Amino acid sequence: MSSINQIPVIEAKRGNPLSKVFDELVRFCRSRSLFILHYCTGCGAIELPPAMTSRFDMERLGIQPMVSPRQADILLITGYVSIKTLKRVILTYEQMGSPKYVIGICSCTVNGGMYWQSYATAKKLDEYMPVDLYIAGCMPRPEAVIAGLQQLMNRIQSGEANSWEDYFRNYDYYLGNQQKLFGDNWQTPTDIITEAKHYNLMGEGTFGEHTRLLEQHQKPLEALDMRLGHNLKEPTE
Amino acid sequence: MAPMELILELTLMPLIAFLVGMMMVLMMRRIAAKIQRRVGPPLLQPLYDIVKLHSKRTQISHGLIHDIGIIMAMGGYIAAETLLPVPGMNGIAEKGGIITLLYLMMIPSLGLALGVGQCANPNGSIGIARALTAMLAYDIPLVIVIFGVAYAAGTTNLVDIIAQQQAGGFAAWGAVEMPLLAIAGLIAMHASLGKQPFEIYIAPAEIATGPMVEMSGKYLGGLFVMQCFQLYTTSVLYVSLFLGGGTTWFDFLLKSFLVLAIPVSIAYLFPRYRTEDLLRLMWKWPVMLGLIGVAFVL
Ligand code: SF4
Repeated sequence: MSSINQIPVIEAKRGNPLSKVFDELVRFCRSRSLFILHYCTGCGAIELPPAMTSRFDMERLGIQPMVSPRQADILLITGYVSIKTLKRVILTYEQMGSPKYVIGICSCTVNGGMYWQSYATAKKLDEYMPVDLYIAGCMPRPEAVIAGLQQLMNRIQSGEANSWEDYFRNYDYYLGNQQKLFGDNWQTPTDIITEAKHYNLMGEGTFGEHTRLLEQHQKPLEALDMRLGHNLKEPTE
Repeated sequence: MAPMELILELTLMPLIAFLVGMMMVLMMRRIAAKIQRRVGPPLLQPLYDIVKLHSKRTQISHGLIHDIGIIMAMGGYIAAETLLPVPGMNGIAEKGGIITLLYLMMIPSLGLALGVGQCANPNGSIGIARALTAMLAYDIPLVIVIFGVAYAAGTTNLVDIIAQQQAGGFAAWGAVEMPLLAIAGLIAMHASLGKQPFEIYIAPAEIATGPMVEMSGKYLGGLFVMQCFQLYTTSVLYVSLFLGGGTTWFDFLLKSFLVLAIPVSIAYLFPRYRTEDLLRLMWKWPVMLGLIGVAFVL
Protein backbone atom coordinates (compact mmCIF):
# COMPACT_ATOMS: atom_id res chain seq x y z
CA MET A 1 0.00 0.00 0.00
CA SER A 2 2.95 2.27 -0.25
CA SER A 3 2.13 3.57 -3.70
CA ILE A 4 -0.16 6.52 -4.01
CA ASN A 5 -1.98 4.99 -6.99
CA GLN A 6 -3.24 2.05 -4.99
CA ILE A 7 -5.35 4.26 -2.78
CA PRO A 8 -8.97 4.03 -3.84
CA VAL A 9 -10.38 7.42 -4.70
CA ILE A 10 -14.09 7.72 -4.11
CA GLU A 11 -15.70 10.49 -6.07
CA ALA A 12 -17.95 12.62 -3.94
CA LYS A 13 -21.47 12.73 -5.35
CA ARG A 14 -22.49 16.34 -5.19
CA GLY A 15 -24.96 17.55 -7.74
CA ASN A 16 -24.98 21.21 -6.88
CA PRO A 17 -22.61 23.15 -9.16
CA LEU A 18 -21.99 25.63 -6.35
CA SER A 19 -20.58 22.86 -4.20
CA LYS A 20 -17.85 22.32 -6.81
CA VAL A 21 -16.80 25.92 -6.51
CA PHE A 22 -16.91 25.56 -2.76
CA ASP A 23 -14.74 22.44 -2.83
CA GLU A 24 -12.30 24.22 -5.08
CA LEU A 25 -12.11 27.13 -2.64
CA VAL A 26 -11.60 24.83 0.31
CA ARG A 27 -8.82 22.95 -1.46
CA PHE A 28 -7.16 26.20 -2.42
CA CYS A 29 -7.27 27.50 1.14
CA ARG A 30 -6.00 24.18 2.46
CA SER A 31 -3.02 24.36 0.15
CA ARG A 32 -2.24 27.97 1.02
CA SER A 33 -2.40 27.60 4.77
CA LEU A 34 -0.27 24.82 6.17
CA PHE A 35 0.64 24.56 9.81
CA ILE A 36 3.64 22.36 10.32
CA LEU A 37 4.56 20.35 13.33
CA HIS A 38 8.23 19.67 13.03
CA TYR A 39 9.00 16.60 14.98
CA CYS A 40 12.74 16.97 15.14
CA THR A 41 13.82 13.37 15.21
CA GLY A 42 17.22 13.45 13.58
CA CYS A 43 19.93 15.66 12.20
CA GLY A 44 17.75 16.95 9.36
CA ALA A 45 15.96 19.26 11.77
CA ILE A 46 18.84 21.67 11.53
CA GLU A 47 17.75 22.67 8.03
CA LEU A 48 14.35 23.86 9.18
CA PRO A 49 15.30 27.06 11.04
CA PRO A 50 16.91 28.57 7.90
CA ALA A 51 13.88 27.51 5.89
CA MET A 52 11.61 29.31 8.34
CA THR A 53 13.60 32.44 9.09
CA SER A 54 14.75 35.39 7.05
CA ARG A 55 16.82 33.62 4.42
CA PHE A 56 14.15 31.40 2.91
CA ASP A 57 10.98 32.51 4.75
CA MET A 58 8.35 29.80 4.55
CA GLU A 59 5.65 32.17 5.75
CA ARG A 60 5.38 33.77 2.33
CA LEU A 61 3.91 30.46 1.18
CA GLY A 62 1.51 30.40 4.10
CA ILE A 63 3.45 27.79 6.02
CA GLN A 64 3.98 28.42 9.69
CA PRO A 65 5.14 26.33 12.59
CA MET A 66 2.63 25.24 15.22
CA VAL A 67 3.36 23.66 18.51
CA SER A 68 0.74 21.05 19.23
CA PRO A 69 -0.40 18.14 17.03
CA ARG A 70 -4.03 19.20 17.30
CA GLN A 71 -3.35 22.43 15.46
CA ALA A 72 -1.04 21.09 12.80
CA ASP A 73 -1.64 19.89 9.24
CA ILE A 74 1.78 18.61 8.28
CA LEU A 75 3.94 16.30 10.32
CA LEU A 76 7.54 16.78 9.31
CA ILE A 77 9.78 13.87 10.21
CA THR A 78 13.24 15.27 9.98
CA GLY A 79 15.66 12.39 10.00
CA TYR A 80 16.15 8.91 11.30
CA VAL A 81 13.42 7.53 13.52
CA SER A 82 14.52 5.30 16.33
CA ILE A 83 12.04 2.73 17.51
CA LYS A 84 11.36 4.57 20.73
CA THR A 85 10.78 7.78 18.78
CA LEU A 86 8.52 6.04 16.33
CA LYS A 87 6.04 5.28 19.11
CA ARG A 88 5.79 8.97 19.87
CA VAL A 89 5.58 9.83 16.19
CA ILE A 90 2.62 7.50 15.77
CA LEU A 91 0.86 8.90 18.84
CA THR A 92 1.41 12.39 17.46
CA TYR A 93 0.23 11.45 14.00
CA GLU A 94 -2.98 9.89 15.27
CA GLN A 95 -3.85 12.98 17.29
CA MET A 96 -3.62 15.32 14.34
CA GLY A 97 -6.85 16.39 12.72
CA SER A 98 -7.37 15.18 9.19
CA PRO A 99 -6.71 16.12 6.43
CA LYS A 100 -3.16 15.64 7.57
CA TYR A 101 0.03 15.15 5.63
CA VAL A 102 3.32 13.53 6.49
CA ILE A 103 6.59 14.59 4.94
CA GLY A 104 9.71 12.54 5.43
CA ILE A 105 12.78 14.73 5.19
CA CYS A 106 16.17 13.03 4.86
CA SER A 107 17.25 9.74 3.32
CA CYS A 108 16.97 8.04 6.66
CA THR A 109 13.19 8.17 6.52
CA VAL A 110 13.13 6.71 3.02
CA ASN A 111 15.11 3.55 3.59
CA GLY A 112 17.13 3.84 6.74
CA GLY A 113 19.95 5.74 5.10
CA MET A 114 23.23 5.34 6.84
CA TYR A 115 21.50 3.74 9.80
CA TRP A 116 20.45 0.79 7.66
CA GLN A 117 22.35 -1.65 9.83
CA SER A 118 21.24 -0.20 13.12
CA TYR A 119 19.01 -2.40 15.25
CA ALA A 120 17.44 0.64 16.88
CA THR A 121 15.95 2.58 13.97
CA ALA A 122 12.82 2.05 11.97
CA LYS A 123 13.86 1.85 8.35
CA LYS A 124 10.95 2.80 6.13
CA LEU A 125 8.62 5.38 7.51
CA ASP A 126 5.78 4.53 5.15
CA GLU A 127 5.39 1.10 6.68
CA TYR A 128 4.06 2.71 9.83
CA MET A 129 2.07 5.66 8.53
CA PRO A 130 1.12 6.93 5.07
CA VAL A 131 3.74 9.39 3.84
CA ASP A 132 2.75 12.02 1.31
CA LEU A 133 6.16 13.12 0.24
CA TYR A 134 9.79 12.25 0.75
CA ILE A 135 12.54 14.79 0.42
CA ALA A 136 15.70 12.79 0.02
CA GLY A 137 19.17 13.99 0.80
CA CYS A 138 21.56 13.77 3.67
CA MET A 139 20.44 16.36 4.60
CA PRO A 140 18.31 18.23 2.05
CA ARG A 141 19.02 21.94 1.71
CA PRO A 142 16.28 24.43 2.64
CA GLU A 143 15.64 24.99 -1.08
CA ALA A 144 14.83 21.32 -1.43
CA VAL A 145 12.56 21.42 1.63
CA ILE A 146 10.66 24.37 0.22
CA ALA A 147 10.46 22.80 -3.24
CA GLY A 148 9.01 19.69 -1.62
CA LEU A 149 6.48 21.72 0.31
CA GLN A 150 5.44 23.48 -2.88
CA GLN A 151 4.94 20.13 -4.55
CA LEU A 152 2.72 19.13 -1.65
CA MET A 153 0.78 22.38 -2.03
CA ASN A 154 0.13 21.60 -5.69
CA ARG A 155 -1.01 18.12 -4.83
CA ILE A 156 -3.37 19.42 -2.15
CA GLN A 157 -4.83 21.93 -4.53
CA SER A 158 -5.50 19.32 -7.18
CA GLY A 159 -7.02 17.03 -4.56
CA GLU A 160 -4.48 14.22 -4.87
CA ALA A 161 -2.94 14.49 -1.44
CA ASN A 162 -5.34 12.32 0.49
CA SER A 163 -3.10 9.55 1.63
CA TRP A 164 -4.25 10.22 5.20
CA GLU A 165 -7.40 8.30 4.27
CA ASP A 166 -5.15 5.35 3.63
CA TYR A 167 -4.36 5.10 7.32
CA PHE A 168 -8.03 4.45 8.03
CA ARG A 169 -8.70 2.29 4.99
CA ASN A 170 -5.66 0.06 5.54
CA TYR A 171 -5.27 0.33 9.27
CA ASP A 172 -4.63 -3.40 9.56
CA TYR A 173 -1.47 -3.16 7.45
CA TYR A 174 -0.02 -0.27 9.42
CA LEU A 175 -1.02 -1.77 12.74
CA GLY A 176 0.60 -5.04 11.76
CA ASN A 177 3.91 -3.35 11.08
CA GLN A 178 3.63 -1.44 14.33
CA GLN A 179 2.92 -4.62 16.26
CA LYS A 180 5.93 -6.28 14.65
CA LEU A 181 8.15 -3.59 16.16
CA PHE A 182 6.48 -2.82 19.46
CA GLY A 183 5.06 -6.19 20.39
CA ASP A 184 1.52 -7.52 20.42
CA ASN A 185 0.44 -5.35 23.33
CA TRP A 186 0.77 -2.15 21.35
CA GLN A 187 -2.18 0.18 21.77
CA THR A 188 -2.44 3.90 21.12
CA PRO A 189 -4.82 6.16 23.03
CA THR A 190 -6.59 7.06 19.79
CA ASP A 191 -9.25 4.62 18.64
CA ILE A 192 -8.63 4.56 14.90
CA ILE A 193 -11.36 2.07 14.06
CA THR A 194 -14.09 4.07 15.77
CA GLU A 195 -12.81 7.17 14.06
CA ALA A 196 -12.86 5.46 10.69
CA LYS A 197 -16.47 4.41 11.32
CA HIS A 198 -17.41 7.91 12.38
CA TYR A 199 -15.95 9.61 9.33
CA ASN A 200 -17.15 6.88 6.99
CA LEU A 201 -13.64 5.91 5.97
CA MET A 202 -13.90 2.15 6.36
CA GLY A 203 -12.08 0.16 3.75
CA GLU A 204 -11.21 -3.40 2.84
CA GLY A 205 -8.13 -3.28 4.97
CA THR A 206 -9.47 -1.58 8.06
CA PHE A 207 -10.07 -4.91 9.76
CA GLY A 208 -7.79 -7.89 9.70
CA GLU A 209 -5.86 -10.24 11.89
CA HIS A 210 -3.89 -7.44 13.51
CA THR A 211 -6.91 -5.43 14.53
CA ARG A 212 -8.42 -8.61 15.94
CA LEU A 213 -5.28 -9.01 18.03
CA LEU A 214 -5.67 -5.41 19.16
CA GLU A 215 -9.29 -5.95 20.14
CA GLN A 216 -8.34 -8.84 22.39
CA HIS A 217 -6.31 -6.71 24.74
CA GLN A 218 -7.66 -3.24 24.02
CA LYS A 219 -8.42 -1.28 27.14
CA PRO A 220 -11.23 1.25 26.86
CA LEU A 221 -10.13 4.85 27.06
CA GLU A 222 -10.73 6.65 30.30
CA ALA A 223 -10.73 10.31 31.13
CA LEU A 224 -7.58 11.50 32.81
CA ASP A 225 -7.65 11.78 36.56
CA MET A 226 -7.12 15.47 37.18
CA ARG A 227 -6.33 15.32 40.88
CA LEU A 228 -2.93 16.60 41.85
CA GLY A 229 -0.57 13.87 42.95
CA HIS A 230 -3.03 11.08 42.25
CA ASN A 231 -0.18 8.63 41.91
CA LEU A 232 1.08 9.32 45.40
CA LYS A 233 0.16 6.90 48.11
CA GLU A 234 -2.64 7.79 50.49
CA PRO A 235 -1.19 8.81 53.83
CA THR A 236 -1.60 6.00 56.34
CA GLU A 237 -2.67 6.98 59.80
CA MET B 1 -34.04 55.25 14.79
CA ALA B 2 -36.03 52.94 12.61
CA PRO B 3 -35.79 49.32 13.69
CA MET B 4 -34.73 48.19 10.22
CA GLU B 5 -31.86 50.62 10.24
CA LEU B 6 -30.81 49.45 13.67
CA ILE B 7 -30.81 45.82 12.60
CA LEU B 8 -28.76 46.71 9.54
CA GLU B 9 -26.21 48.53 11.68
CA LEU B 10 -26.02 45.70 14.19
CA THR B 11 -25.20 43.23 11.41
CA LEU B 12 -22.85 45.52 9.53
CA MET B 13 -20.74 46.60 12.47
CA PRO B 14 -19.40 43.14 13.45
CA LEU B 15 -18.91 42.29 9.77
CA ILE B 16 -16.83 45.39 9.18
CA ALA B 17 -14.97 44.68 12.39
CA PHE B 18 -14.16 41.19 11.14
CA LEU B 19 -12.87 42.41 7.78
CA VAL B 20 -10.81 45.21 9.31
CA GLY B 21 -9.62 42.80 11.99
CA MET B 22 -8.33 40.41 9.34
CA MET B 23 -6.37 43.24 7.76
CA MET B 24 -5.00 44.03 11.20
CA VAL B 25 -3.84 40.45 11.67
CA LEU B 26 -2.17 40.68 8.29
CA MET B 27 -0.52 43.96 9.26
CA MET B 28 0.71 42.41 12.48
CA ARG B 29 2.26 39.46 10.68
CA ARG B 30 3.77 41.69 8.00
CA ILE B 31 5.35 43.96 10.61
CA ALA B 32 6.78 40.92 12.35
CA ALA B 33 8.17 39.74 9.03
CA LYS B 34 9.68 43.12 8.20
CA ILE B 35 11.36 43.31 11.59
CA GLN B 36 12.82 39.86 11.07
CA ARG B 37 13.80 40.77 7.46
CA ARG B 38 11.37 38.37 5.89
CA VAL B 39 8.83 38.81 3.14
CA GLY B 40 5.82 37.89 5.21
CA PRO B 41 2.50 36.26 4.39
CA PRO B 42 0.44 37.05 1.27
CA LEU B 43 -2.49 39.43 1.31
CA LEU B 44 -5.28 36.98 2.03
CA GLN B 45 -3.38 34.74 4.44
CA PRO B 46 -5.67 35.36 7.47
CA LEU B 47 -8.67 34.38 5.34
CA TYR B 48 -6.96 31.22 4.08
CA ASP B 49 -6.15 30.21 7.63
CA ILE B 50 -9.69 30.70 8.85
CA VAL B 51 -11.31 28.89 5.91
CA LYS B 52 -8.82 26.05 6.17
CA LEU B 53 -9.39 25.59 9.89
CA HIS B 54 -13.15 25.52 9.47
CA SER B 55 -12.91 23.00 6.65
CA LYS B 56 -10.89 20.43 8.56
CA ARG B 57 -12.45 16.99 8.36
CA THR B 58 -11.76 16.02 11.95
CA GLN B 59 -13.36 18.33 14.46
CA ILE B 60 -12.46 17.25 17.96
CA SER B 61 -14.85 18.56 20.55
CA HIS B 62 -14.15 17.91 24.20
CA GLY B 63 -17.75 18.41 25.23
CA LEU B 64 -20.56 20.92 25.41
CA ILE B 65 -18.76 23.46 27.56
CA HIS B 66 -15.88 23.45 25.11
CA ASP B 67 -18.24 24.43 22.29
CA ILE B 68 -20.00 27.05 24.39
CA GLY B 69 -16.70 28.49 25.57
CA ILE B 70 -15.55 29.21 22.04
CA ILE B 71 -18.88 30.76 21.17
CA MET B 72 -18.64 32.97 24.27
CA ALA B 73 -15.13 33.98 23.27
CA MET B 74 -16.32 35.14 19.87
CA GLY B 75 -19.72 36.37 21.02
CA GLY B 76 -18.30 38.66 23.67
CA TYR B 77 -16.37 40.55 21.06
CA ILE B 78 -19.19 40.51 18.52
CA ALA B 79 -21.41 42.12 21.14
CA ALA B 80 -18.67 44.60 21.94
CA GLU B 81 -18.48 45.71 18.30
CA THR B 82 -22.07 46.93 18.38
CA LEU B 83 -21.12 49.29 21.22
CA LEU B 84 -18.16 50.79 19.39
CA PRO B 85 -19.18 53.72 17.21
CA VAL B 86 -17.68 53.85 13.73
CA PRO B 87 -18.08 56.73 11.25
CA GLY B 88 -21.73 56.92 10.24
CA MET B 89 -22.90 54.12 12.50
CA ASN B 90 -23.48 54.23 16.22
CA GLY B 91 -25.29 50.94 16.73
CA ILE B 92 -26.40 50.77 20.35
CA ALA B 93 -23.37 52.70 21.58
CA GLU B 94 -25.47 55.48 23.08
CA LYS B 95 -27.47 53.07 25.19
CA GLY B 96 -24.61 50.85 26.20
CA GLY B 97 -21.86 53.16 27.27
CA ILE B 98 -18.29 52.49 28.09
CA ILE B 99 -18.86 50.45 31.25
CA THR B 100 -20.93 47.83 29.44
CA LEU B 101 -18.23 47.71 26.81
CA LEU B 102 -15.60 47.05 29.43
CA TYR B 103 -17.67 44.17 30.82
CA LEU B 104 -18.22 42.69 27.38
CA MET B 105 -14.52 42.76 26.68
CA MET B 106 -13.91 40.49 29.66
CA ILE B 107 -16.34 37.79 28.49
CA PRO B 108 -13.96 36.25 25.90
CA SER B 109 -11.34 35.45 28.53
CA LEU B 110 -13.97 33.85 30.72
CA GLY B 111 -15.40 31.89 27.80
CA LEU B 112 -11.95 30.69 26.95
CA ALA B 113 -11.41 29.66 30.55
CA LEU B 114 -14.59 27.54 30.46
CA GLY B 115 -13.73 25.96 27.13
CA VAL B 116 -10.16 25.20 28.00
CA GLY B 117 -11.16 23.79 31.37
CA GLN B 118 -13.00 20.98 29.69
CA CYS B 119 -10.04 20.08 27.48
CA ALA B 120 -8.31 18.78 30.61
CA ASN B 121 -4.89 19.61 29.28
CA PRO B 122 -2.44 20.82 31.94
CA ASN B 123 -0.78 23.24 29.52
CA GLY B 124 -4.16 24.73 28.77
CA SER B 125 -4.99 25.11 32.45
CA ILE B 126 -1.68 26.84 33.15
CA GLY B 127 -2.28 29.05 30.15
CA ILE B 128 -5.73 30.08 31.24
CA ALA B 129 -4.59 30.71 34.80
CA ARG B 130 -1.97 33.03 33.39
CA ALA B 131 -4.45 34.67 31.04
CA LEU B 132 -6.75 35.53 33.95
CA THR B 133 -3.80 36.80 35.98
CA ALA B 134 -2.78 38.97 33.05
CA MET B 135 -6.35 40.26 32.84
CA LEU B 136 -6.18 41.23 36.48
CA ALA B 137 -2.91 43.01 35.78
CA TYR B 138 -3.98 45.13 32.82
CA ASP B 139 -7.58 45.76 33.84
CA ILE B 140 -6.62 47.95 36.79
CA PRO B 141 -4.74 50.55 34.73
CA LEU B 142 -7.38 50.24 32.01
CA VAL B 143 -10.19 50.99 34.43
CA ILE B 144 -8.25 53.95 35.89
CA VAL B 145 -7.66 55.32 32.40
CA ILE B 146 -11.27 54.91 31.36
CA PHE B 147 -12.45 56.47 34.61
CA GLY B 148 -10.17 59.46 33.97
CA VAL B 149 -11.43 59.95 30.43
CA ALA B 150 -15.06 59.56 31.41
CA TYR B 151 -14.63 62.00 34.33
CA ALA B 152 -12.97 64.59 32.09
CA ALA B 153 -15.70 64.27 29.50
CA GLY B 154 -18.42 64.20 32.13
CA THR B 155 -20.12 61.21 30.52
CA THR B 156 -19.68 57.47 30.01
CA ASN B 157 -21.30 57.67 26.62
CA LEU B 158 -18.72 56.87 23.94
CA VAL B 159 -20.63 58.79 21.26
CA ASP B 160 -20.55 61.96 23.38
CA ILE B 161 -16.86 61.52 24.19
CA ILE B 162 -16.06 61.30 20.48
CA ALA B 163 -18.34 64.24 19.64
CA GLN B 164 -16.67 66.43 22.26
CA GLN B 165 -13.23 65.65 20.87
CA GLN B 166 -14.31 66.24 17.30
CA ALA B 167 -16.00 69.54 18.19
CA GLY B 168 -12.83 70.94 19.74
CA GLY B 169 -10.55 69.88 16.93
CA PHE B 170 -7.06 68.52 17.42
CA ALA B 171 -6.47 70.39 20.71
CA ALA B 172 -9.45 68.63 22.28
CA TRP B 173 -8.20 65.12 21.54
CA GLY B 174 -7.81 62.97 24.60
CA ALA B 175 -4.17 62.32 23.78
CA VAL B 176 -3.42 66.07 23.79
CA GLU B 177 -5.49 66.97 26.82
CA MET B 178 -4.53 63.95 28.94
CA PRO B 179 -1.15 62.70 27.68
CA LEU B 180 -0.38 60.74 30.86
CA LEU B 181 -3.64 58.82 30.61
CA ALA B 182 -2.96 58.21 26.93
CA ILE B 183 0.42 56.67 27.67
CA ALA B 184 -0.96 54.53 30.48
CA GLY B 185 -3.77 53.47 28.16
CA LEU B 186 -1.30 52.48 25.48
CA ILE B 187 0.61 50.23 27.87
CA ALA B 188 -2.59 48.65 29.18
CA MET B 189 -3.78 48.12 25.62
CA HIS B 190 -0.52 46.47 24.69
CA ALA B 191 -0.85 44.08 27.62
CA SER B 192 -4.46 43.31 26.76
CA LEU B 193 -3.39 42.25 23.27
CA GLY B 194 -1.15 39.61 24.85
CA LYS B 195 1.74 40.45 22.57
CA GLN B 196 5.35 39.74 23.20
CA PRO B 197 6.71 41.31 26.35
CA PHE B 198 3.34 40.47 27.92
CA GLU B 199 2.77 37.22 26.05
CA ILE B 200 2.73 35.12 29.20
CA TYR B 201 -0.30 33.01 28.40
CA ILE B 202 0.50 31.98 24.83
CA ALA B 203 4.20 31.22 25.34
CA PRO B 204 4.56 28.61 22.57
CA ALA B 205 7.97 27.41 23.66
CA GLU B 206 6.99 27.01 27.27
CA ILE B 207 3.37 25.91 27.61
CA ALA B 208 2.60 25.10 23.96
CA THR B 209 0.31 28.09 23.23
CA GLY B 210 -1.53 27.67 26.53
CA PRO B 211 -5.28 27.98 25.98
CA MET B 212 -5.03 26.92 22.34
CA VAL B 213 -3.17 23.70 22.97
CA GLU B 214 -6.12 21.33 22.54
CA MET B 215 -7.94 23.39 19.97
CA SER B 216 -8.15 22.02 16.48
CA GLY B 217 -10.17 22.67 13.37
CA LYS B 218 -13.05 25.05 13.79
CA TYR B 219 -12.29 25.63 17.44
CA LEU B 220 -8.90 27.04 16.57
CA GLY B 221 -10.58 28.82 13.66
CA GLY B 222 -12.95 30.42 16.15
CA LEU B 223 -10.00 31.66 18.14
CA PHE B 224 -8.44 33.08 14.97
CA VAL B 225 -11.68 34.97 14.33
CA MET B 226 -11.62 36.11 17.94
CA GLN B 227 -8.13 37.48 17.44
CA CYS B 228 -9.34 39.62 14.52
CA PHE B 229 -12.08 41.06 16.72
CA GLN B 230 -9.69 41.55 19.59
CA LEU B 231 -7.25 43.64 17.58
CA TYR B 232 -10.09 45.70 16.15
CA THR B 233 -11.85 46.28 19.47
CA THR B 234 -8.72 47.31 21.33
CA SER B 235 -7.43 49.73 18.75
CA VAL B 236 -10.82 51.27 17.98
CA LEU B 237 -11.52 51.77 21.68
CA TYR B 238 -8.21 53.58 22.01
CA VAL B 239 -8.92 55.72 18.97
CA SER B 240 -12.34 56.63 20.34
CA LEU B 241 -11.01 57.56 23.75
CA PHE B 242 -7.86 59.44 22.84
CA LEU B 243 -7.68 60.23 19.14
CA GLY B 244 -11.11 61.70 18.53
CA GLY B 245 -12.68 58.74 16.76
CA GLY B 246 -13.08 59.15 13.04
CA THR B 247 -15.03 61.63 10.96
CA THR B 248 -14.51 59.69 7.76
CA TRP B 249 -13.69 56.05 7.21
CA PHE B 250 -10.28 57.00 5.88
CA ASP B 251 -8.97 58.76 8.96
CA PHE B 252 -10.75 56.29 11.23
CA LEU B 253 -8.97 53.33 9.69
CA LEU B 254 -5.68 55.21 9.42
CA LYS B 255 -5.76 56.04 13.12
CA SER B 256 -6.71 52.54 14.21
CA PHE B 257 -4.02 50.89 12.11
CA LEU B 258 -1.40 53.38 13.31
CA VAL B 259 -2.35 52.89 16.94
CA LEU B 260 -2.11 49.14 16.57
CA ALA B 261 1.23 49.39 14.82
CA ILE B 262 2.87 50.83 17.94
CA PRO B 263 2.47 47.84 20.29
CA VAL B 264 2.98 45.38 17.45
CA SER B 265 6.30 46.94 16.43
CA ILE B 266 7.46 46.91 20.02
CA ALA B 267 6.26 43.35 20.48
CA TYR B 268 8.57 41.65 18.03
CA LEU B 269 11.68 43.22 19.52
CA PHE B 270 11.32 41.75 22.96
CA PRO B 271 11.24 38.39 24.69
CA ARG B 272 8.69 37.60 27.37
CA TYR B 273 8.20 38.66 30.97
CA ARG B 274 7.39 36.19 33.69
CA THR B 275 3.95 36.36 35.24
CA GLU B 276 5.01 38.06 38.45
CA ASP B 277 7.13 40.57 36.52
CA LEU B 278 4.14 41.41 34.39
CA LEU B 279 2.00 42.00 37.47
CA ARG B 280 4.66 44.15 39.10
CA LEU B 281 5.20 46.16 35.94
CA MET B 282 1.52 46.69 35.18
CA TRP B 283 0.61 47.64 38.72
CA LYS B 284 3.53 50.04 38.97
CA TRP B 285 4.03 52.16 35.83
CA PRO B 286 0.69 52.41 34.04
CA VAL B 287 -1.17 52.62 37.34
CA MET B 288 1.15 55.37 38.57
CA LEU B 289 0.91 57.30 35.30
CA GLY B 290 -2.82 56.77 35.26
CA LEU B 291 -3.30 58.00 38.84
CA ILE B 292 -1.21 61.13 38.20
CA GLY B 293 -3.20 61.67 35.01
CA VAL B 294 -6.47 61.31 36.91
CA ALA B 295 -5.18 63.77 39.53
CA PHE B 296 -4.65 66.34 36.77
CA VAL B 297 -8.13 65.72 35.44
CA LEU B 298 -9.78 66.06 38.83
S1 SF4 C 1 19.72 11.39 6.07
FE1 SF4 C 1 21.67 12.10 6.87
S2 SF4 C 1 21.20 14.09 7.81
FE2 SF4 C 1 19.27 12.98 7.55
S3 SF4 C 1 18.90 11.95 9.48
FE3 SF4 C 1 19.95 10.52 8.12
S4 SF4 C 1 22.12 10.75 8.62
FE4 SF4 C 1 21.06 12.55 9.45
